[in-house]
Amino acid sequence: MDINLLFKIAAIGILVAVLHQVLVRAGREDQAMMTTLAGLVIVLSMVIKEISGLFDTVRTLFNL
Amino acid sequence: MEIIKITSIALIALIIIILLKQYKPEFAIYISILTGILIIFLVMDKFTGIIELIRSISNKSNINNQFIEILLKITGIALLSEFAVSICKDSGETAIASKIEIGTKVIVISMSIPIISSLLEIILKILP
Repeated sequence: MDINLLFKIAAIGILVAVLHQVLVRAGREDQAMMTTLAGLVIVLSMVIKEISGLFDTVRTLFNL
Repeated sequence: MEIIKITSIALIALIIIILLKQYKPEFAIYISILTGILIIFLVMDKFTGIIELIRSISNKSNINNQFIEILLKITGIALLSEFAVSICKDSGETAIASKIEIGTKVIVISMSIPIISSLLEIILKILP
């Protein structure tokens, strides 16, 4: 739960963008789509983990 | 101080978002969500201190702390809904944001019914 989480996501984003371009240039559009989806799933799992952490903290804090 | 941490994190995230926006627009939303969560966590321990203070004051003075609990619940609901509304507005979904606001208003009003009813009783007692 720190700033390097942001850097991780930025790195994944740039990596996915570069991979997408490379694979599209190499003519494999479907694999390009696969890598984009994989990057999306990884980032989404991280974001959802943090969101659930926030919701738990707020729930226990305000005993909602 | 915390404020330096908060502003630096926000600026770093802003730079990352601008960098990522031209390649992958959807990653900008993830980073804005994460920055929001990070900043809320930064001030969370001060938040808990304030809430413990409110609870201890309400326990000491013999105000029945049922109303204080309801007020704290409403603050929590407002915090979460404001978090979601600002993210929806940021990504351009103002319709969803207004739906969240409507839902929050309904929940808050339904939670504050006991307070309103006890207020009315007090007023009726005062009236001759």
